[in-house]
Amino acid sequence: MRIQIKSKKPDSDEQVLTNIWKKQEPRIDLLKKFPILDKFVKSRYFQNLLILPSLIVFYMILIAGFFGTPVGNKNIAIVFTWILWWFLLIAILVPFASRIWCAMCPLPFFGELAQRLTFFRVREGKTGPLKNKMFGLNRKWPRFLKNIWVQNISFLALCTFSAVLVTRPFVTAMVLGSMIILGILFALVYRLRVFCSYICPVSGFLSLYSMTSTLEVRSRSTDECKKCKSKSCITGNEKGYGCPWFIYMGKHERNNYCGLCMECVKSCPNDNIALNLRPFASETKIKSFDEAWKGFIMLGLAMAYSIILLGTNGQIKDWANALETGMWTGFLKYSGILWSSSLLLLPAVFLGFSFLSKLISGNKEVSVKEVFLNYSYVIVPLGLLSWIAFSLPLIFVNGSYIISVISDPMGWGWDLFGTAGFHWQPLLPEYLVYIQIILLTTGLYFAMTRAKTISERLFNTRKQAIRSLIPISLFSLIVCFAFLRFFVG
Amino acid sequence: MFFKRFIIKKFWIVVAATIVGALAGGLAGSGTEAPASKNITIKARQYAYDPPKIIANKGDTLLLELASLDVVHGFYLEGYDVDAEIHPGINTFKIRKPSEGYNWETADVITVILTRRGKFRYRCSHTCGTMHPFMQGELIVKPNTPYHAGLGGIAGFAIGLFMMMGISSKELKVVTAGK
Repeated sequence: MRIQIKSKKPDSDEQVLTNIWKKQEPRIDLLKKFPILDKFVKSRYFQNLLILPSLIVFYMILIAGFFGTPVGNKNIAIVFTWILWWFLLIAILVPFASRIWCAMCPLPFFGELAQRLTFFRVREGKTGPLKNKMFGLNRKWPRFLKNIWVQNISFLALCTFSAVLVTRPFVTAMVLGSMIILGILFALVYRLRVFCSYICPVSGFLSLYSMTSTLEVRSRSTDECKKCKSKSCITGNEKGYGCPWFIYMGKHERNNYCGLCMECVKSCPNDNIALNLRPFASETKIKSFDEAWKGFIMLGLAMAYSIILLGTNGQIKDWANALETGMWTGFLKYSGILWSSSLLLLPAVFLGFSFLSKLISGNKEVSVKEVFLNYSYVIVPLGLLSWIAFSLPLIFVNGSYIISVISDPMGWGWDLFGTAGFHWQPLLPEYLVYIQIILLTTGLYFAMTRAKTISERLFNTRKQAIRSLIPISLFSLIVCFAFLRFFVG
Repeated sequence: MFFKRFIIKKFWIVVAATIVGALAGGLAGSGTEAPASKNITIKARQYAYDPPKIIANKGDTLLLELASLDVVHGFYLEGYDVDAEIHPGINTFKIRKPSEGYNWETADVITVILTRRGKFRYRCSHTCGTMHPFMQGELIVKPNTPYHAGLGGIAGFAIGLFMMMGISSKELKVVTAGK
């Protein structure tokens, strides 16, 4: 409980505020609260039990993608991947369970199996700095690539072909199949989960948006970590593998690069790892430009998809769908607009607002670069909530395809559960706009309140902090208005 | 506890500003015009409708004729209980009310009396090709109150939130000063 002591001094703008903003948000340690969960995550079966169902579905998707009907909405590869999985991932898993998907993802499964050569056991031994025996060349990932730029570009490249990817079962299966092969190759050449950390296109946006999540894995006491000589969380031991994501728990303070595999919970000799429940959008630190640009790419794509996929303009759809229409000149125009708006236009606009923010604050010590990088966090909650608002129609309008495709996953005329003939039936589509308005407002709330936290970290005085917020809040409001226009206007 | 936080944190400012904004926005965009009758032919092709957007006023009566230029398409109008199946080269089409099940009838025109305001999408309800799930058009029934109220409400929310943050920031500073 905090005691408030009122000062008789008049408020001074020069008063330093820094410490007060470092107040710790409340946390609930789920592993302490639920011992059965603690037992479960410490079990060697934990991750495989998570992966197993997704692996089964994944195989169904691959088979249906390669051999099933080419009609997307009648094939489980499209319906399960781009309607069900996507919605669950963006609207539920990421906001509430961080990167738990990375723990259950079937893509790196075979690569990890190739490195460990065992399903459940921990192989003791020595591989470089690791105290686990690992198969493969175990090379280090080049230093200059230790960022998410590759993921940014590969994700944008993949999304350029999204009109094809999300409608053709064969293409979906090809892409997923290729990612499995890449995952194996990278696992055989490089250490641990290099593929997930630096290559996987999905991983990039998971890393960014997991900052908002209500779940985190953290050390219970960093002092305990400092005292710990073995550093088993990163080197591994007989109980668990060294962190596949290269994280030392003593310095772990952001969700971005933690795949929630729980190996650290198993390997920590001091039982010092917690699985915490925390408030939404607790982390507010964007540390590098690759992360900031990921935010711009995601925001740009949400806007672009709202126009292309949820919009009414047939010509843009034809351009995006060049594989069928043959409008390759249009496709080049569409790609050019997509890439330039995501990589250049949006960041340039935000730079303008950052410049204004610094100017209005009146602070001469903080650089525009710092303002830009720190405030770029606002597009994280704003982008995530916009993506959820965008994804709602996918499940509410096209969710009924799930019911029919369960009985006929290949589109071959089967009727396994008697639901194959279920007619397409959107669920309350005319009311979606109200949910979308609420979601956008929620995004704006978190963008503005977290911007306030950042402003107080960035500037010395209250006056500077509040002033600097004006342009950033305006930017967030404009983004909100843009999505409102797409969805409701 | 919640109520106390609500008052202390000045969150009521946000709620009040949002309501005022939403009302102001809703009222600002509430101009009405005399109801009229409009004949519109909607041509469906892979994967768009022509016209892609229909703008009308509340109270108008739309007489919709449907035609397909290539394959079999659907026409599902949100909020107005209309679903149709359009075959290429045929002037008539099958129509049903989704709320009444699958009782298809044949018609050559759909009469829609616009009783609800806002944006309603018409979507293809018959699998017509790869991009079928994304084939849609928009019927905007003016005044588009949800949009205007949404704009006003969000603007009010932002202003209220900004005011609240300014005030709470000052309060926190008092704590620092005491230390």
